[in-house]
Amino acid sequence: MNIGFIGLGLMGRPLALHLAKAGHTLHLWARRAASLDPFKDVGAQAHASPAEVAKHADIVFTMVADAPDVREVTLGADGIAAGSRKGLIVVDMSTINPNAAREIGAALEAKGIEFVDAPVSGGEVGAINAALTIMVGGKPEVFEKVKPLFEKMGKSITLIGGIGAGQVAKACNQILTGVGVMAVAEAFNFAAKNDVDVAKVREALLGGFAYSRILENHGQRMLDRNFKPGFKAWMHQKDLRIVMEEAHRLGLMLPAAAATAQLFNAIVGSGMGEEDSIAALKLLEKLSTPDQ
Amino acid sequence: MKIGFIGLGGMGRPMVEHLRAAGHELAVWSRRPVSADFLPPEVPRAAAPVELARQCEIVCTNVTGSADVAGLAAQLIDGLAPDSIHVDFSTIAPSVARAIAARYAERGMHFVDAPVSGGTAGARAKTLAIMWGGREELSARLDPLFACLGKSAVRVGAAGAGQVAKASNQLVMVAAIQAAAEAARLAAASGVDFAKVRQALLGGSAASRVLDLFGGLVMVAAIQAAAEAARLAAASGVDFAKVRQALLGGSAASRVLDLFGGKMQARDFAAGVEARLHHKDFVTTLAEATAQNIPLPVASTVLQQLDVLMAAGWGMDDTSRLLCVLERAGCNDFNERNTT
Repeated sequence: MNIGFIGLGLMGRPLALHLAKAGHTLHLWARRAASLDPFKDVGAQAHASPAEVAKHADIVFTMVADAPDVREVTLGADGIAAGSRKGLIVVDMSTINPNAAREIGAALEAKGIEFVDAPVSGGEVGAINAALTIMVGGKPEVFEKVKPLFEKMGKSITLIGGIGAGQVAKACNQILTGVGVMAVAEAFNFAAKNDVDVAKVREALLGGFAYSRILENHGQRMLDRNFKPGFKAWMHQKDLRIVMEEAHRLGLMLPAAAATAQLFNAIVGSGMGEEDSIAALKLLEKLSTPDQ
Repeated sequence: MKIGFIGLGGMGRPMVEHLRAAGHELAVWSRRPVSADFLPPEVPRAAAPVELARQCEIVCTNVTGSADVAGLAAQLIDGLAPDSIHVDFSTIAPSVARAIAARYAERGMHFVDAPVSGGTAGARAKTLAIMWGGREELSARLDPLFACLGKSAVRVGAAGAGQVAKASNQLVMVAAIQAAAEAARLAAASGVDFAKVRQALLGGSAASRVLDLFGGLVMVAAIQAAAEAARLAAASGVDFAKVRQALLGGSAASRVLDLFGGKMQARDFAAGVEARLHHKDFVTTLAEATAQNIPLPVASTVLQQLDVLMAAGWGMDDTSRLLCVLERAGCNDFNERNTT
């Protein structure tokens, strides 16, 4: 199959390589030519614009930073829509605002292009190991066409609902992981400030009702004081911004997410945006310690 | 009429001076005798709180916390004559004030909680705002005393009501301080001179767009705090009109508490300023906070309340509707809980 891929960053690069390894022909466009280097040996074809990519592909994947970027590569000048053939499927794997996904999907459908939103959870490691969780929104018949390709990238693939539903699921994921990381950081800081062995606390809690994968994995990395990303704090800040944008649009009470979003502002503002989101622990430690 | 005084710290000392200057006969007790050294030798020093209680018709205390007041009350009660009054100026828990008042009432004595706003500067300048709770007929004996100490004294309600008003005072004041701090941070992060922002806000001539946002942040946070004070009063069975009146005399006084607090009190939710406009401004402000990487916890919480306000369909009403958002969550009013 001829597959387009736009957005060859930390996440997009390994995913595109999985598709090439499965025997598909890749059609690529990248803002920076250097991003194409890892694809020299897999027979990928580089193009001058997203429109050119669309002309040669049956399905185009996008994996970019935020909603304006998705709009630009799909609906902008020389965007995918400008070069599309009838029946083209656009699969956006970026994490963006659900409502923006619905708007982009509707605009593409009006031009006869199918759209599914398919944000992922699992980070760079999950992408490299083809072990991502993929949350999909779109028509069931379109999902079925894309599903064999998703299976090359992830382990858990779920059609959640119509266009935008994948982004809603991802937003829910970010509420749980954002608040969850903060909760584990709070518990660890609480234990440490009470002069209790944090490792023992974690070990004990793993056997009880407070067990979570965040307590297990993120908790271990907090104990090791390994703040290497993983999932960068600034990305979690962005995702919680999306959550709160929707809360403000729909009038939703999300007090824990709101407080956590402010703490992520503080983490990034303190210069820890490039670290893993478990840098939350360092922020809480700093704020719980007398100022020098 | 002899007045006893316990608690000769930064607040108590100037209060004692004012009472003496007004011609009241005074006696004191202090844990450390040196604390009374500022007084001339002719002022009697009691050997113990209970001794002071035996000599005085009114005993004032101005100490630190609930435990200190409860400890003193347990001693004073054995010395106070029937119909005498213990006036406590400390800031303590309303429930502790109520419990002491009940114990005194069984033995025919009175407890009055009379926390103050204005700090040591207000104590020195006789400009304290006194908010008191206790039996109404005590006014005749207490008003002349309070007149020596502050510029306003409001009876908020029964025993404990003064402490509810003080809690509201702290809530309103510290929320406003935090909102001002957030405005200052937002200004610094946006490269705007906060001194100019502050000057413009104080003049009420918020002309530019930037000033609208800053003004909104400080103002709506203050409206939210006023709404929370109103809820606290209602949940505690205390008249918010009285609380508001008491607070307007103290450090928490503001135009917002005056105007929006007044609308809440009257339950007049006609705009005014349409809440949807504040909601829109706060969405912009919080987006700016995220873009600049600064935490604005109070602004964020206020926006959450505005979100709920919008969801309830009150966007075209006045922002004092924030009170109704609070009423949708948590307990019923004190009076409803105790009649049904």
